[in-house]
Amino acid sequence: MPKKTQTETVTLTIDGKTVTVPKGTVAVDAAKTVGIDIPVFCYHEKLGPFGCCRMCLVEVEKMPKLATACTLAVGQDMVINTESQKATKGRQGVLEFTLLNHPLDCPVCDKGGECPLQDNTFAHGPDLTRTEFTRYNRDKAVPLSPVVTIDRERCIACQRCTRYSDIVEQETALVMVNRGFQNRVQTFQDRPYETRFSGNVVDICPVGALTNTTYRFKSRIWDLDNAETLCAHCGVNCNIVVGARMNEFMRVQAKSGENSQANDAVDDGWICDKGRFGYGFVESANRILNCRNDKGEALEANDALGQAATQLKKISDEHGPKSVGFIGSPYGTNEELYLYQKLFRQQLKTNNIDFKTYKQAPGLPVDHYDVGDIETSDLVLLIASDPTEEAPVLDLRIKKSVSFFDVKLAVLNDQKTDMDKPAALSLRYNVGSEAETLSALIDALNDKKVRGLEKSAGIAPKLIKELAATIQGSEKVCVIYNPAALNGVASDTILELLQTIGGLPDKQCGAIPVAPGTNAVGALDMGAHPNFYPGGLALSEAEKIKSLWGDESPLQPGFSALEMIEKAAAGELKALVVFRANPVVDFPGGSAVMEALKNLDYLVVHDMLETETTQLANLVLASNGPGYDDGTTTNIGGRVQFRKRSLVREDHPPDWMIISRMIRSLDPEAPSYKNSFDATDEISKNVPGYEAINKKSVKGMGLPRKGFACSEVQGNGAPAAEKPENGALRLRVTNYLFAHDKILDASSPLAHQFKSSTVYLNAEDAKALGIETGGEVKVVSGDVAIDAVAEVSDRCNPGAALMPRVSDEQGLMALVKDPDAATWVQVKK
Amino acid sequence: MFAFSETSEKEIEKQLVKYPPDRKKSAILALLRIAQQQNGYVSPEAMEEIGRRLDLSPAYVEGVCSFYTMYYTRPVGQYVILFCINVSCHLLNCDNLLEYTAKKLNIEVGGTTEDKKFTLLREECLAECSRAPVMRINNDYHVNLTPQKIDQILDSLK
Repeated sequence: MPKKTQTETVTLTIDGKTVTVPKGTVAVDAAKTVGIDIPVFCYHEKLGPFGCCRMCLVEVEKMPKLATACTLAVGQDMVINTESQKATKGRQGVLEFTLLNHPLDCPVCDKGGECPLQDNTFAHGPDLTRTEFTRYNRDKAVPLSPVVTIDRERCIACQRCTRYSDIVEQETALVMVNRGFQNRVQTFQDRPYETRFSGNVVDICPVGALTNTTYRFKSRIWDLDNAETLCAHCGVNCNIVVGARMNEFMRVQAKSGENSQANDAVDDGWICDKGRFGYGFVESANRILNCRNDKGEALEANDALGQAATQLKKISDEHGPKSVGFIGSPYGTNEELYLYQKLFRQQLKTNNIDFKTYKQAPGLPVDHYDVGDIETSDLVLLIASDPTEEAPVLDLRIKKSVSFFDVKLAVLNDQKTDMDKPAALSLRYNVGSEAETLSALIDALNDKKVRGLEKSAGIAPKLIKELAATIQGSEKVCVIYNPAALNGVASDTILELLQTIGGLPDKQCGAIPVAPGTNAVGALDMGAHPNFYPGGLALSEAEKIKSLWGDESPLQPGFSALEMIEKAAAGELKALVVFRANPVVDFPGGSAVMEALKNLDYLVVHDMLETETTQLANLVLASNGPGYDDGTTTNIGGRVQFRKRSLVREDHPPDWMIISRMIRSLDPEAPSYKNSFDATDEISKNVPGYEAINKKSVKGMGLPRKGFACSEVQGNGAPAAEKPENGALRLRVTNYLFAHDKILDASSPLAHQFKSSTVYLNAEDAKALGIETGGEVKVVSGDVAIDAVAEVSDRCNPGAALMPRVSDEQGLMALVKDPDAATWVQVKK
Repeated sequence: MFAFSETSEKEIEKQLVKYPPDRKKSAILALLRIAQQQNGYVSPEAMEEIGRRLDLSPAYVEGVCSFYTMYYTRPVGQYVILFCINVSCHLLNCDNLLEYTAKKLNIEVGGTTEDKKFTLLREECLAECSRAPVMRINNDYHVNLTPQKIDQILDSLK
């Protein structure tokens, strides 16, 4: 394991070369720094020394026997010889044993061509086999889960996968059972290996034992065109390598030590299963391939975008700029969102621009921490966030920090999550009482008395004080929170809390907002907000705005996404562009949203997959989307990276081109871009904080954009707790990673992970309602009723009904009327 | 469903105090033994229960349990015969003796007699090479085996 800080170094000699490395480095890694490759199987730099495969034998002067270089911490003046006759012979012997029962099926093995066993055998193994007896035959191609297949014959029992499950995933779901010859990798009672991160074992397996079921026999690895790119699901923006063969998608791998240099600043070389097996959207039958009008007639992209721009301009001219609006999405790239806001602000003169249904203003009152800062913090304070379901690889980073860097984790949430396990302190407030809880924490930090919290939030004041004391006692505090899970008032209170923590004496404090979507941070930065220009420029900064965007820039606050829906219903908003969003399903309101959109004079939907919203559109613009389009995204840590295309589509322009042509059709003077980087360059010129972002800096590890302060934080105080109706429970909508939506459709390899609609109830409420686990219930609010199966658990405090969004079909958001106000539901048998 | 009996619970309590609370997983061998003592073997449900007690995944418990041949993961007879098949015993013809025993009990090696009295298993070294061939029946060693001796021993247990 790499240490937090490295100061002391040692100098030694490896094969005659002088090496200086930090103390504690193992010989394998030390050798790597001078280009000497000591072969390994069981050793993996993210898993630490183990020494079970014996492949890395080297000769060390003054040591009587060969030593394993992967467990040998180098010492001062050590002399290591990797190529001596003794070492070479030793390794050859080890390989002979390793290959004893390994089948010779390289020609049909998926790993062939990228197999460390194959490579090491060529480089270090014996020329001929001396084996004259029958090999031990074991089970071949056994499903370990629907997406991972194990070939027991090929396994060399290096234990990388089982140690990964123990050390990284920390679930110990995979173990070695039996002993010696009978040793085998297994889950408990051979149940499916279904974790959030199971696919990583395919990458780290040094032989062809663990293979990606979706890629089995699909291609030889030397036929693949590999694109180092980014995952397009959550906000972590993990680095992935997408392999395509003849422009057909084949597989996703983590960008890791196995194929390239892992980006430790983002993902540490791991990806989640949604990132690995959820790439099927690039070849979904549901893709929108052509632009079309409301009669369903296909249109040339240029005609369609021209029509859209002209029509929007016409409506804006006729009914005023307030009559047109843009609802974007956190799934767009920086370039796409930047260009869209430019189109609406400069050409259509409106600030009706938004991408979300929760409240969040750009900027933070403290530093915007990068993901790597978690490891160097003393305390991680996790608020209202469920990383396991919302940003999975962040879950791994937090667990790693707690286990290996002595970082303390404190959790403040209204639901039980997987993060409670590594947490030193875990507080659960009542659903809906986040503002009261955060206010109480602020009071406790200011050494004020905390009163009445037990009643309003279900947390004993003693615990809040304990949490406050923990924060006060930690030097570096990293606050991770989900802005989308905080109700309206709390979205201000959280900033007030950050300011309070940052203002404590001798304190470093930073925050990582983890909102849903790939590029929620970038969307805010790019000004997809009714009250802020790009770079967090508030409308009040008129001078700055005018100098950057021209004298005619609109300075009237625009409508938020939800307001736009309201105004559409009222007939005030006439035209709307919806970009890569599906308000009909994802916005609160259910059928009311659909009615509002139908009420529009002109609805343009720019999306890559057919949705309930595209069905209502007057004009559909086809979007190639991730996989086909280049662009940059900003991850939860503010790091801007390049999402390269992995597949090519020549018959349809990329989104940035569609949007820039819309701009040019209204303003022929506007710049035209040759590629996405031309737009990136414009961003670096016009978006404060993005000055250093350019074609070069977004590659490799990427570069954090400069964070910016938010406009003044105003504490609104906690709202008075509302009284529930008789027997009503407060609804909390939570997230589930493998939700069955348009991205993970029925044909997805992850379909086995889909869940049915479930409502979690506290035992107290369930008893009062006479509901038991497994009982079929209806969750009712007004005239909307959602079917669900009840689960009685301690996942939330009494008085709440917790429902994960498990599918589009579930229609859960129809229950919610106003996300800022409480949603009360009746759970009926 | 598996549940520890009152006697077992008392025994577990005694074992757990031997380890610091943050290292309680070290009690896994003891708990496996207690579970086996109670039910004759360690069932998957028992492994899950032990995992819950010690904050371990059931897979980890199974890994440990399957490593040791003296934990049984399937139901066994009243008497478990562990027949050493390692070098010294092998040289002294344990194979024939094992076959002889199996035939006598009318079961395959690894099987249990219909009356649930005997289970016959192969075992790697029993660490009694000086008196090979050796078998162990429950907690007793039987050494310098011959067919006659085996007859005698098995008859005495019937």
